[in-house]
Amino acid sequence: MKKDYVESTTPPEGYDPQREQMLDFKVEEDLDKLCETDSKNFILTTVDELFNWARLSSVWPVTFGLACCAIEMMAASATRYDIDRFGAGAFRATPRQADLMIVSGTVTAKMASRLKRIYDQMPEPKWVVAMGSCAIGGGPYFKYGYHVVKGVDFIVPVDVYIPGCPPRPEVLLDGLMRLQDKIRGRKGKFVQPKWVQDYASKIPYVKPEKGR
Amino acid sequence: MSQKLVANLKSAFGERLLGASSAHGDEVVVVGREDLLEVARHLRDRESCEMLLDVAGVDLSEHPSLGGSADRFEVNYLFRSLANRSRVRVKVRVEEGQDVPSLSGLYNSANWAERETWDLYGVPFRDHPDLRRILCHHEFEGHALRKDYPIEQGQFCTVPEKLIQDHDIERAAGRADSAAEELHPSDLLTVNIGPSHPATHGALRLECLLDGEIIVDAKAEIGYLHRCFEKEAEDHTWAQVMPYTDRLNYVSAMLNNVIYSHAVEKMLGVEVPPRARVVRVIVSELSRIIDHLVCVCANLVDIGALTNYWYFYNVRESIYYDVIEPLCGSRLTTNYSRIGGLAHDVFEGFEQAVERNLEKLATAITEVTGLIARNRIFLDRTVGVGPMTTAQALDWGFTGPCLRATGCDYDIRKDAPYLGYETYDFDIVVGTAGDTRDRIMCRVEEMTQSARIIRQALQRGLPTGPIVVDDPAISLPPKEQVYGSIEGVMNQFKLIMEGTKVPAGEAYGFGEGANGELGFFCVSDGSGQPYRMKVRPPCFPIFSAYPEMVKGLMIPDAVAILGSINIIAGELDR
Amino acid sequence: MESITGLLTKIFGDGMSPMALLISGGLTMALIMSLVMAMCAIVFTWMERKVAGFLQSRYGPMRVGGFHGVLQPVADMLKILGKEDIIPDEADKALFMLSPFVIFIGSLMAWAAIPFAPGFIASNLDLGLFYIFAVSSAAPAGILMAGWASNNKWALYGAARGAAQMVSYEIPLALAAIPVVMATGSLNMNAIVDAQGGGVLNWYIVHDPFLFLAFCLYFIASIAEVNRGPFDMPETESELVAGYHTEYTGMRFAFFFLAEYANLFLVSCIATAVFLGGWHPIAGPVFLPGLVFLIKAVILVFLQMLVRWTLPRLRVDQLMHTCWKVMVPLTLLCVLGSGIWMMVSGELL
Repeated sequence: MKKDYVESTTPPEGYDPQREQMLDFKVEEDLDKLCETDSKNFILTTVDELFNWARLSSVWPVTFGLACCAIEMMAASATRYDIDRFGAGAFRATPRQADLMIVSGTVTAKMASRLKRIYDQMPEPKWVVAMGSCAIGGGPYFKYGYHVVKGVDFIVPVDVYIPGCPPRPEVLLDGLMRLQDKIRGRKGKFVQPKWVQDYASKIPYVKPEKGR
Repeated sequence: MSQKLVANLKSAFGERLLGASSAHGDEVVVVGREDLLEVARHLRDRESCEMLLDVAGVDLSEHPSLGGSADRFEVNYLFRSLANRSRVRVKVRVEEGQDVPSLSGLYNSANWAERETWDLYGVPFRDHPDLRRILCHHEFEGHALRKDYPIEQGQFCTVPEKLIQDHDIERAAGRADSAAEELHPSDLLTVNIGPSHPATHGALRLECLLDGEIIVDAKAEIGYLHRCFEKEAEDHTWAQVMPYTDRLNYVSAMLNNVIYSHAVEKMLGVEVPPRARVVRVIVSELSRIIDHLVCVCANLVDIGALTNYWYFYNVRESIYYDVIEPLCGSRLTTNYSRIGGLAHDVFEGFEQAVERNLEKLATAITEVTGLIARNRIFLDRTVGVGPMTTAQALDWGFTGPCLRATGCDYDIRKDAPYLGYETYDFDIVVGTAGDTRDRIMCRVEEMTQSARIIRQALQRGLPTGPIVVDDPAISLPPKEQVYGSIEGVMNQFKLIMEGTKVPAGEAYGFGEGANGELGFFCVSDGSGQPYRMKVRPPCFPIFSAYPEMVKGLMIPDAVAILGSINIIAGELDR
Repeated sequence: MESITGLLTKIFGDGMSPMALLISGGLTMALIMSLVMAMCAIVFTWMERKVAGFLQSRYGPMRVGGFHGVLQPVADMLKILGKEDIIPDEADKALFMLSPFVIFIGSLMAWAAIPFAPGFIASNLDLGLFYIFAVSSAAPAGILMAGWASNNKWALYGAARGAAQMVSYEIPLALAAIPVVMATGSLNMNAIVDAQGGGVLNWYIVHDPFLFLAFCLYFIASIAEVNRGPFDMPETESELVAGYHTEYTGMRFAFFFLAEYANLFLVSCIATAVFLGGWHPIAGPVFLPGLVFLIKAVILVFLQMLVRWTLPRLRVDQLMHTCWKVMVPLTLLCVLGSGIWMMVSGELL
């Protein structure tokens, strides 16, 4: 009997209401603040900027389509929108070589641990985009979806939320640009937020059997 | 035709038929659970019911007329005879804990359908070869579609299910290729294709047992996108279910809308105005074109011909941009059809936009067929890969292009015409071998046929008149009335808050979806919400045959076949 | 290497001992070749994405570095440098770390015998062509090591496929070049190129019909040899996820990436030197030889890219079938046919 239920109505233990504010953080203000704090060390800042430029210019998403939004993700790589213009068109089939996981669709209870595994397999620095209302918070399946995880941020940390059901490809491109803004202002080490570690630890890591 | 079938059943079984009725054009018989196997065998052998379309469970505990009785569950078997063009629904009512004989010995398609009923209702099936959960994960507790299932709890799956057990490996090692040298179980390798694999285009899982590159055994697992559509439907009004149908087969959402409203209209007994019918035909066929475009281009990507993806996807994109989006404001999830008609009228210049896109479609088809039709590598990869005979396909419950590729000319648009399809001149596209190439080429040719239907509809001109039935119990009043008259406000309030009062009863409404027969088995208790809504997704039986289709083939073949049978996870798992 | 040693002598005077001259010249050449390889990856990844975009009616990279995304590959490489280096727990660590370098060095060594311009060759070996084919056989070993060491089933499958494929396709690849050796009477790359001077009609591709066929066979086999579509068995994205480099991240993956594009250019350079007259222009005297050579090689690379993005992929057994039952007999036919042709036309004897 597994007792790892996550109540859909009340916030789980360790839930940080501050996190809600991340949803509407103001990009420019935040970036200005970040840039001020570390501007003393000129050389490292420049190197940081160079690497951040490289990271934001070549965000390789992992080929990971879940549901309806995956079709719009495909549309974003097609001619009219062409996500490759931003350098983000090199979809990698293996998470080992990817930088970005676009959670494009509903995450179900069955898929949750698989998704976590894929996230764990990606090398740092890595980013997650929650695409569509299902990935943000269960979407239309919030109330009666007994098999639906009410938001992918219960499982992995999310950098950019893209609303829509499904979001249009333009919005995905906009989300990518917001992610690029975020990378541009990034400093220091990459640490998972504590609340993510708490929830993530609920899904145990199972070592693969040897010999099979 | 169906009446004759029921009469034959009555004469064959007499008193043992517990009841027979006819409602909304569906023939229903009720049998005892001990007689079910015999009735099914009679239907298959004597009445040429080649197909068991679906198995639908119903929890009767809160049903207004049957609720108090001892029999808590009802299992509906939907049979279909191609030769006699008849359908019959066989009902079995059981108490909690009582088992039902499994039909998986008679019909291959019964296997997964019964597993689903077991998973969601907990009705056990006697002599079922593999009675495991299918949509919910293996650690799930309770049966989710029972009326008393506590909905609030979310149950995470922690460890993946091991599909191929050690005894399977040993059996396969004994069976595989005995002409070659002795195979030891350790020579075989289990490999998971999916749930996140580039070839699955969605979350599916196939666990293969490989001898070198050859798949000697395979088992599939689905349910990675089980979004509880049927539970959602039970808790929304009939009109509110419409957006959820968009998300079943999200590639051709319009078709789901149309067929769902068709099913509900069947229960209501209303006739859609002519203008709405023609627009519905046009958008359905456009939607079918889009589905085939996406399926074929994704399949070609799997085979390795990458560039075709853009050639087909551009047309799809263009149809979305020029037609679908101006029409309903959204690209993917259209929510355009309404019970009794359409949400709103077409935009100005609709005909020209459609016509323009049909030209683009013709160009794209020429380009892509030019690249693949006589390409030696393409033919080597697809001809003779995953062939199916018509008998096998029917036994597995195939419908749609996958069935037609085997040479069976079964198309609901011709067989049981709805929306006035009988007035259009089009051909049923059939293949010969039922292999991957036939499936791809059937889809390509069907697009041309769909374009033909649309052209005919446009040439006749859209009929003038309303786009939704003028019945205050069904359709929302116009906005002027809502704001201007007390009657309009009341009417709108009642419809929004309580929903359309569909008369109590049940019906199976179906139509030709892009993948095959898409059916909605609706049970109404007379309130504004469905009592039970069972979708018959075309993918589900097709995918249940997939593990059998790939046995003896190689991984590249398995990938090619998976693309050609067009599995849409949203529809498969609901 | 003569030009390099000559240059070094000019700079440092005659004071250098021959040994010092040899070593310093060799090192300079190795540096240049490594740079060429890195440039290959950088230029050709950009080119690949632009060619793909051109075929697929879209643009490809546009934003990074201003004009048409020219800095895209630079950003890719820098980003890969900064990625976390993951070595799976269950992997064979030594082999896992070694294999990218085996592939990379195998590819780098082959560059030593490629004549870019008169005198501009790292090592003017008498057995030049033989040497190139010999050292480029290191790649299957590297792929096998990578696939085995990853302890990943997809990687293992990719490695097994890749090794089988590359070992098989080396045979038609080498056999297709034999008629040229017969015509020249030498395995020396410089000699082969020199024999084709004086206009397009002296190129070996139009020497006789069998040599034309041999060039076509060489082109097909070379695509298979560098594991690109429609022969990309070891990494078939839709089947084996990423094949032998499924578990590789960061810099280690970048070495595979680098080697892939370097090999792509390498086989094109060999084809240029062996069949297409090397640095000799279509007509007229030798003019900017290095540039002529590069243009020819890049055109071949472009052709390979067109093929990759157009054709579906073969199945793994069909691939072997194509090699052993079609390519090998045909290349043998070429050897025989062009031999008879030369005897009849009196070139031999």
